Amino acid sequence: MGAYMTYKIVTKTNIPEFKKELFSVNRRFSDFLGLHSKLEEKHAHLGRIVPPAPEKSVIGMTKVKMSKEDDGTLAHDEFVEKRRASLERYLNRTASHAVLRLDSDFREFLQLDADLPKATNTSALSGAGMKRLFNRVGISVNKMTYKMDESDEWFEEKQQQLENLDDQLRKLHTSVEALVHHRKQLSLHTASFAKSAAMVGNAEEHTSLSRALSQLAEVEEKVERLHEKQADADFFVLAELLKDYINLIAAVKEVFHQRVKVFQNWEAAQQTLTKKRETEAKMHLAGKTEKLDQAKADIAEWEANVQKGQHEFEEISQTIRKEVDCFEKQRVIDFKSSIIKYLDSLIDDQQQLIQYWEAFLPEARAIA
Amino acid sequence: MMSHDGMDDMADLLAEEKSQKPSLKDRSDTVDLTTDTSLMVDISDALSERDKVKFTVHTKTTLPDFKQTEFSVVRQHEEFIWLHDRYIENEEFGGYIIPPAPPRPDFDASREKLQKLGEGEGTMTKEEFSKMKQELEAEYLATFKKTVAMHEVFLQRIAAHPVLRSDHNFRVFLEYDQDLSVRSKNKKEKFGGFLKTITKSADEVMLHNQKDVDEFFEHQKVFLEEYYTRIKDSTSKADKMTRTHKNVADSYIKISGGLVQLATIENTDLSKFLNSLGDGFEKARKLEGRIASDQDLKISDTLRYYMRDSSAAKDLLYRRLRCLSNYESANKALERARLKNKEIQQSENAQQHARESFDHISEIAKSELADFKTRRVQMFRKNLIDAAELEIKHSKAHVQLLKNTIQTLKEA
Repeated sequence: MGAYMTYKIVTKTNIPEFKKELFSVNRRFSDFLGLHSKLEEKHAHLGRIVPPAPEKSVIGMTKVKMSKEDDGTLAHDEFVEKRRASLERYLNRTASHAVLRLDSDFREFLQLDADLPKATNTSALSGAGMKRLFNRVGISVNKMTYKMDESDEWFEEKQQQLENLDDQLRKLHTSVEALVHHRKQLSLHTASFAKSAAMVGNAEEHTSLSRALSQLAEVEEKVERLHEKQADADFFVLAELLKDYINLIAAVKEVFHQRVKVFQNWEAAQQTLTKKRETEAKMHLAGKTEKLDQAKADIAEWEANVQKGQHEFEEISQTIRKEVDCFEKQRVIDFKSSIIKYLDSLIDDQQQLIQYWEAFLPEARAIA
Repeated sequence: MMSHDGMDDMADLLAEEKSQKPSLKDRSDTVDLTTDTSLMVDISDALSERDKVKFTVHTKTTLPDFKQTEFSVVRQHEEFIWLHDRYIENEEFGGYIIPPAPPRPDFDASREKLQKLGEGEGTMTKEEFSKMKQELEAEYLATFKKTVAMHEVFLQRIAAHPVLRSDHNFRVFLEYDQDLSVRSKNKKEKFGGFLKTITKSADEVMLHNQKDVDEFFEHQKVFLEEYYTRIKDSTSKADKMTRTHKNVADSYIKISGGLVQLATIENTDLSKFLNSLGDGFEKARKLEGRIASDQDLKISDTLRYYMRDSSAAKDLLYRRLRCLSNYESANKALERARLKNKEIQQSENAQQHARESFDHISEIAKSELADFKTRRVQMFRKNLIDAAELEIKHSKAHVQLLKNTIQTLKEA
């Protein structure tokens, strides 16, 4: 099982920070995960929304690696295409972020004409992976137990909106998945019907009716392929769009959480400062003048920390507001363009249908 | 700005929804379109009660054999079966293709779905629930219309047939304004029916194994056996396809509902956009539903009818075969009689009678089978043309809908 898939990434840019205007590299899936991990580490705590990496589907990939029959090839192709499309979306989202696109790791990922060091801590079963898993659990517990004193209404409203949005998108995603399933079934059943109609046509003794039935079978075969194509559009354009946004919202929630952590730090610093002041006051009262200098130094240090904490908090709050604003604008553009693209593909399909049936009509009329 | 064409198609869609009354023209697809109006039968009304359907059979006639020129009676499904069985049993009609009996009205599937919907009411929004309920009610209505059509076509074929229409039982069926009290008889027949099925399987084997001297009938046998098997398979596959198509249409309900809900919580430009999209999906749903039901009507039902008719034609071949078998037995009996020099005259009469029956049935069967072919070709032609025309019409409407939706979305 040493074989792995690489994806060719072609970049076209006029941003001066990049060395060339058109270039390509090969990367494997774990490289993408590595990139995401680095970006998250560097940017999330500053309030920047880092686009989530495509999901690692351990089951999906091993199933594909294991199967050798024909079915496996089809499932394999589907899986690879699904992954390729999601990796492409991931890179484009990252590339459209004003700050992330200039990140050194991102630029190296796109430009470096050599293999990247293997990102080991992304492997699902490695020790680092386990550590991250526990960290996440820690975060969840924290999320539940710590209640921030929110003074900014905007943040409260936004979080509520995001929760609602998440709910609705999930529901909608499930409904679209159902549509995809039924359309795929329709394609199968149409194919099956087409074959049976051809059989009836072969048995039919009346010549022109026999021919018309064979033509009907051919039309239905074409219709079957259209249904398949439409199911793909349902999936790749609609379902994946919704999935991406569900994951993006999770990333947005993450920066909100980071802000809470920053606030916690600030609050903790304030508490420490208060303690230091108390200590100083006690020393003053007790007349312990030798340690007073130290105490005063401590206070100065912690006053600086509190200021830093406040500054960080204000920074992150401001950044998040901008990021969310961008996110909302982007979301609107994304949804609109994806859906219109989806509808356009449906128009193409319907026009094809019209062609097929119009070609069949004279055959039916020719039955004498 | 919606184009005028678009609006017309939308109005078309809604208008068709409202007109529920099926026209007489639509229903008599399977009957020979003769111009003989001396006996016109139709089902003018039907009532669906809890577990039975009451059909009002309406007759208009110029034939002297009937007491009135126009009259109606109420019949239930069992009485149609009774009538069909009287034809099957009548040796006089042995050479004719007896129009296949209409299937029993079956609302079980619809009722089950309606019940499941009721149970799941809590899991969906009010709009979604009411839409699904509407869909199911429409399905129920469609099933109902179909069963009426199938019972009607059965009667109309008999009425149009110059020989079959003269049967006394048919007249009683049309005219006798009381209950025919066939329910108890049918219970006996249910058992008899079981025996009939066994005999039929034996017949099938016999038919298959015997090679007919007569080329025409040999060809018919080979043709019908193959044809029946294939059309039966095709009917069930067509049914599966149209059912799945309906599922696709129904799945749009949750999507349009979800989009509208999403629109209400949206605080961005997307609100209007999503509402329009939800609206688009709702209209598309109606279109897809219409396509599914038209496919069902024009393709599945045609296949289904000719599956049944082929079976009736095969039955004719069995009857002829049994007749042939009788003839051969009579021949052997005559030979034995001649050998023993006993009851020769009797045997000669019996043999002659058997031969005449066989010749008679063969002659009629030939013309019936030729007629079967003509009817089949005509019906397929009509329904394939209709199917193609409807597909084109619906796809054009769909294109218009999509264009309108995109236009509205771009303006949102």
